[in-house]
Amino acid sequence: MSGTSRPWLLTSPGRWVALYFFSVVIIAALKLTGAIESPVGFILLAAATCLLLPLARRRSDGCISRAMADYNRRIVFSSLGYVLGLGIAVTLWNSYQLSDALVFAISLLPTLPTFGIIWAMARYLAEEQDEYLRHRMIMAALVALGVVLAIGIFYGFLEMFELVPHIWAWWVLPVWAIGLGLAQLWQKVRGS
Amino acid sequence: MKNRLKVLRAERDWSQQDLATRLEVSRQSVNAIETGRYDPSLPLAFRIADVFGLAIEDIFLRGE
Repeated sequence: MSGTSRPWLLTSPGRWVALYFFSVVIIAALKLTGAIESPVGFILLAAATCLLLPLARRRSDGCISRAMADYNRRIVFSSLGYVLGLGIAVTLWNSYQLSDALVFAISLLPTLPTFGIIWAMARYLAEEQDEYLRHRMIMAALVALGVVLAIGIFYGFLEMFELVPHIWAWWVLPVWAIGLGLAQLWQKVRGS
Repeated sequence: MKNRLKVLRAERDWSQQDLATRLEVSRQSVNAIETGRYDPSLPLAFRIADVFGLAIEDIFLRGE
Protein backbone atom coordinates (compact mmCIF):
# COMPACT_ATOMS: atom_id res chain seq x y z
CA MET A 1 0.00 0.00 0.00
CA SER A 2 1.80 3.09 -1.20
CA GLY A 3 1.67 6.55 0.23
CA THR A 4 -0.01 5.90 3.59
CA SER A 5 2.58 8.03 5.41
CA ARG A 6 3.24 10.53 2.63
CA PRO A 7 1.20 13.65 1.87
CA TRP A 8 -1.75 12.90 -0.41
CA LEU A 9 -0.41 15.18 -3.17
CA LEU A 10 2.72 13.04 -3.52
CA THR A 11 0.88 9.72 -3.78
CA SER A 12 0.26 8.38 -7.29
CA PRO A 13 -3.41 9.43 -7.87
CA GLY A 14 -2.81 12.74 -6.10
CA ARG A 15 0.12 13.46 -8.38
CA TRP A 16 -2.06 12.95 -11.48
CA VAL A 17 -4.82 15.17 -10.07
CA ALA A 18 -2.29 17.92 -9.31
CA LEU A 19 -0.85 17.58 -12.82
CA TYR A 20 -4.40 17.84 -14.24
CA PHE A 21 -5.13 21.09 -12.42
CA PHE A 22 -1.73 22.47 -13.45
CA SER A 23 -2.52 21.60 -17.09
CA VAL A 24 -5.94 23.26 -16.89
CA VAL A 25 -4.37 26.47 -15.57
CA ILE A 26 -1.80 26.45 -18.41
CA ILE A 27 -4.50 25.81 -21.06
CA ALA A 28 -6.72 28.55 -19.59
CA ALA A 29 -3.78 30.97 -19.64
CA LEU A 30 -3.03 30.11 -23.29
CA LYS A 31 -6.71 30.58 -24.21
CA LEU A 32 -7.08 33.87 -22.34
CA THR A 33 -3.94 35.31 -23.93
CA GLY A 34 -5.16 34.29 -27.38
CA ALA A 35 -2.25 31.93 -27.98
CA ILE A 36 -4.66 29.12 -28.91
CA GLU A 37 -8.09 29.06 -30.52
CA SER A 38 -11.26 27.35 -29.25
CA PRO A 39 -11.01 23.87 -30.87
CA VAL A 40 -7.35 23.49 -29.88
CA GLY A 41 -8.18 24.56 -26.34
CA PHE A 42 -10.92 21.92 -26.02
CA ILE A 43 -8.68 19.22 -27.52
CA LEU A 44 -5.94 20.09 -25.01
CA LEU A 45 -8.52 20.15 -22.21
CA ALA A 46 -9.81 16.71 -23.21
CA ALA A 47 -6.23 15.42 -23.31
CA ALA A 48 -5.60 16.94 -19.87
CA THR A 49 -8.72 15.21 -18.51
CA CYS A 50 -7.14 11.90 -19.55
CA LEU A 51 -4.57 12.60 -16.81
CA LEU A 52 -7.37 11.68 -14.40
CA LEU A 53 -7.70 8.16 -15.85
CA PRO A 54 -5.28 6.67 -13.24
CA LEU A 55 -7.78 7.93 -10.65
CA ALA A 56 -10.60 6.12 -12.48
CA ARG A 57 -8.58 2.88 -12.64
CA ARG A 58 -7.78 2.94 -8.93
CA ARG A 59 -9.37 -0.01 -7.16
CA SER A 60 -10.78 -0.14 -3.67
CA ASP A 61 -7.99 -0.64 -1.12
CA GLY A 62 -7.16 0.32 2.46
CA CYS A 63 -7.05 3.98 1.47
CA ILE A 64 -10.33 4.33 -0.45
CA SER A 65 -13.61 2.49 -0.18
CA ARG A 66 -15.27 0.64 -3.04
CA ALA A 67 -17.93 3.36 -3.23
CA MET A 68 -15.20 6.01 -3.57
CA ALA A 69 -13.44 4.01 -6.30
CA ASP A 70 -16.75 3.78 -8.20
CA TYR A 71 -17.39 7.50 -7.60
CA ASN A 72 -13.95 8.44 -8.95
CA ARG A 73 -14.49 6.33 -12.08
CA ARG A 74 -17.94 7.85 -12.73
CA ILE A 75 -16.71 11.41 -12.13
CA VAL A 76 -13.68 11.03 -14.43
CA PHE A 77 -15.71 9.58 -17.32
CA SER A 78 -18.48 12.17 -16.84
CA SER A 79 -15.87 14.95 -16.83
CA LEU A 80 -14.30 13.58 -20.00
CA GLY A 81 -17.77 13.46 -21.59
CA TYR A 82 -18.41 17.03 -20.46
CA VAL A 83 -15.21 18.40 -22.01
CA LEU A 84 -15.75 16.48 -25.26
CA GLY A 85 -19.44 17.47 -25.41
CA LEU A 86 -18.63 21.11 -24.71
CA GLY A 87 -15.89 21.15 -27.34
CA ILE A 88 -18.10 19.58 -30.01
CA ALA A 89 -21.07 21.82 -29.16
CA VAL A 90 -19.04 25.06 -29.22
CA THR A 91 -17.25 24.06 -32.44
CA LEU A 92 -20.57 23.26 -34.17
CA TRP A 93 -22.12 26.48 -32.88
CA ASN A 94 -19.20 28.56 -34.17
CA SER A 95 -18.98 26.79 -37.54
CA TYR A 96 -22.58 26.37 -38.69
CA GLN A 97 -25.90 28.20 -38.76
CA LEU A 98 -27.95 25.74 -36.72
CA SER A 99 -31.72 25.47 -36.40
CA ASP A 100 -33.32 25.83 -32.97
CA ALA A 101 -33.84 22.07 -32.76
CA LEU A 102 -30.15 21.43 -33.44
CA VAL A 103 -29.10 24.09 -30.95
CA PHE A 104 -31.32 22.32 -28.40
CA ALA A 105 -29.62 19.02 -29.28
CA ILE A 106 -26.04 20.33 -29.05
CA SER A 107 -26.88 21.98 -25.72
CA LEU A 108 -27.52 18.48 -24.40
CA LEU A 109 -23.98 17.35 -25.34
CA PRO A 110 -22.24 19.06 -22.39
CA THR A 111 -25.38 19.00 -20.21
CA LEU A 112 -25.96 15.24 -20.02
CA PRO A 113 -22.44 14.46 -18.69
CA THR A 114 -22.98 17.04 -15.92
CA PHE A 115 -26.11 15.10 -14.96
CA GLY A 116 -23.72 12.13 -14.78
CA ILE A 117 -21.62 14.04 -12.24
CA ILE A 118 -24.71 14.78 -10.12
CA TRP A 119 -25.79 11.14 -10.43
CA ALA A 120 -22.29 9.97 -9.40
CA MET A 121 -22.51 12.07 -6.23
CA ALA A 122 -25.98 10.71 -5.43
CA ARG A 123 -24.82 7.11 -6.02
CA TYR A 124 -21.79 7.65 -3.79
CA LEU A 125 -23.91 8.90 -0.90
CA ALA A 126 -26.24 5.91 -1.37
CA GLU A 127 -23.48 3.30 -1.74
CA GLU A 128 -20.89 4.46 0.81
CA GLN A 129 -21.07 2.03 3.73
CA ASP A 130 -18.64 3.98 5.92
CA GLU A 131 -20.73 6.59 7.74
CA TYR A 132 -17.76 8.83 8.56
CA LEU A 133 -16.61 9.02 4.91
CA ARG A 134 -20.20 9.70 3.90
CA HIS A 135 -20.41 12.44 6.53
CA ARG A 136 -17.22 14.03 5.16
CA MET A 137 -18.58 14.05 1.61
CA ILE A 138 -21.89 15.56 2.73
CA MET A 139 -20.06 18.31 4.63
CA ALA A 140 -17.82 19.03 1.62
CA ALA A 141 -20.87 19.13 -0.68
CA LEU A 142 -22.61 21.57 1.69
CA VAL A 143 -19.53 23.81 1.68
CA ALA A 144 -19.50 23.66 -2.12
CA LEU A 145 -23.19 24.57 -2.19
CA GLY A 146 -22.48 27.50 0.15
CA VAL A 147 -19.70 28.69 -2.16
CA VAL A 148 -22.01 28.54 -5.20
CA LEU A 149 -24.80 30.41 -3.40
CA ALA A 150 -22.50 33.06 -1.93
CA ILE A 151 -20.63 33.76 -5.17
CA GLY A 152 -23.79 33.44 -7.30
CA ILE A 153 -25.81 35.87 -5.19
CA PHE A 154 -22.98 38.39 -4.87
CA TYR A 155 -22.12 38.22 -8.57
CA GLY A 156 -25.81 38.45 -9.49
CA PHE A 157 -26.17 41.78 -7.69
CA LEU A 158 -22.88 43.07 -9.11
CA GLU A 159 -24.20 42.16 -12.55
CA MET A 160 -27.59 43.74 -11.88
CA PHE A 161 -25.89 47.02 -10.98
CA GLU A 162 -23.79 46.70 -14.17
CA LEU A 163 -20.45 46.53 -12.39
CA VAL A 164 -19.43 43.18 -13.88
CA PRO A 165 -20.17 41.51 -17.23
CA HIS A 166 -22.84 38.81 -17.68
CA ILE A 167 -21.73 35.21 -17.21
CA TRP A 168 -23.58 32.04 -18.18
CA ALA A 169 -25.45 30.04 -15.56
CA TRP A 170 -23.55 26.81 -16.29
CA TRP A 171 -20.62 28.31 -14.37
CA VAL A 172 -22.37 27.01 -11.23
CA LEU A 173 -20.92 23.56 -11.96
CA PRO A 174 -17.21 24.53 -12.15
CA VAL A 175 -17.66 26.82 -9.13
CA TRP A 176 -19.38 24.00 -7.23
CA ALA A 177 -16.59 21.57 -8.20
CA ILE A 178 -13.91 24.04 -7.08
CA GLY A 179 -15.77 24.53 -3.78
CA LEU A 180 -15.99 20.75 -3.30
CA GLY A 181 -12.28 20.33 -4.05
CA LEU A 182 -11.27 23.11 -1.68
CA ALA A 183 -13.50 21.70 1.08
CA GLN A 184 -11.99 18.22 0.66
CA LEU A 185 -8.47 19.70 0.65
CA TRP A 186 -9.33 21.56 3.85
CA GLN A 187 -10.60 18.31 5.40
CA LYS A 188 -7.33 16.58 4.51
CA VAL A 189 -5.21 19.43 5.88
CA ARG A 190 -7.20 19.50 9.12
CA GLY A 191 -7.29 15.73 9.31
CA SER A 192 -11.04 15.83 9.84
CA MET B 1 -17.99 12.93 23.24
CA LYS B 2 -15.06 11.35 25.09
CA ASN B 3 -14.34 7.67 24.66
CA ARG B 4 -11.93 4.96 25.77
CA LEU B 5 -11.20 3.52 22.34
CA LYS B 6 -7.46 4.22 22.44
CA VAL B 7 -7.07 2.56 25.86
CA LEU B 8 -9.20 -0.42 24.88
CA ARG B 9 -7.21 -0.85 21.68
CA ALA B 10 -3.92 -0.66 23.55
CA GLU B 11 -5.12 -3.29 26.03
CA ARG B 12 -5.72 -5.66 23.12
CA ASP B 13 -2.63 -4.54 21.21
CA TRP B 14 -4.75 -3.59 18.21
CA SER B 15 -3.76 -0.94 15.70
CA GLN B 16 -6.36 1.48 14.34
CA GLN B 17 -6.37 -0.58 11.15
CA ASP B 18 -6.99 -3.78 13.16
CA LEU B 19 -10.03 -2.20 14.79
CA ALA B 20 -11.20 -0.71 11.48
CA THR B 21 -11.06 -4.16 9.87
CA ARG B 22 -13.08 -5.68 12.71
CA LEU B 23 -15.68 -2.89 12.42
CA GLU B 24 -15.63 -2.96 8.60
CA VAL B 25 -14.99 0.78 8.43
CA SER B 26 -12.04 2.88 7.25
CA ARG B 27 -9.00 3.60 9.43
CA GLN B 28 -9.89 7.30 9.09
CA SER B 29 -13.23 6.54 10.78
CA VAL B 30 -11.54 4.90 13.75
CA ASN B 31 -9.09 7.77 14.03
CA ALA B 32 -11.88 10.39 13.86
CA ILE B 33 -13.96 8.61 16.51
CA GLU B 34 -10.97 7.96 18.75
CA THR B 35 -9.85 11.60 18.69
CA GLY B 36 -13.41 12.84 19.31
CA ARG B 37 -13.75 14.57 15.95
CA TYR B 38 -16.72 12.40 15.00
CA ASP B 39 -19.42 10.83 17.13
CA PRO B 40 -20.55 7.48 15.70
CA SER B 41 -24.18 6.66 15.00
CA LEU B 42 -25.96 4.37 17.45
CA PRO B 43 -25.65 1.28 15.17
CA LEU B 44 -21.88 1.83 14.83
CA ALA B 45 -21.55 2.47 18.56
CA PHE B 46 -23.26 -0.90 19.18
CA ARG B 47 -20.83 -2.57 16.73
CA ILE B 48 -17.89 -1.02 18.58
CA ALA B 49 -19.32 -2.26 21.89
CA ASP B 50 -19.76 -5.76 20.43
CA VAL B 51 -16.18 -5.85 19.13
CA PHE B 52 -14.83 -5.01 22.59
CA GLY B 53 -17.41 -7.15 24.39
CA LEU B 54 -18.49 -4.19 26.50
CA ALA B 55 -21.55 -2.01 26.97
CA ILE B 56 -21.71 1.28 25.07
CA GLU B 57 -21.52 3.30 28.29
CA ASP B 58 -18.25 1.51 29.18
CA ILE B 59 -16.69 2.93 26.00
CA PHE B 60 -18.36 6.28 25.46
CA LEU B 61 -18.48 8.79 28.28
CA ARG B 62 -21.10 11.46 28.97
CA GLY B 63 -20.28 15.15 28.47
CA GLU B 64 -17.85 16.82 26.08
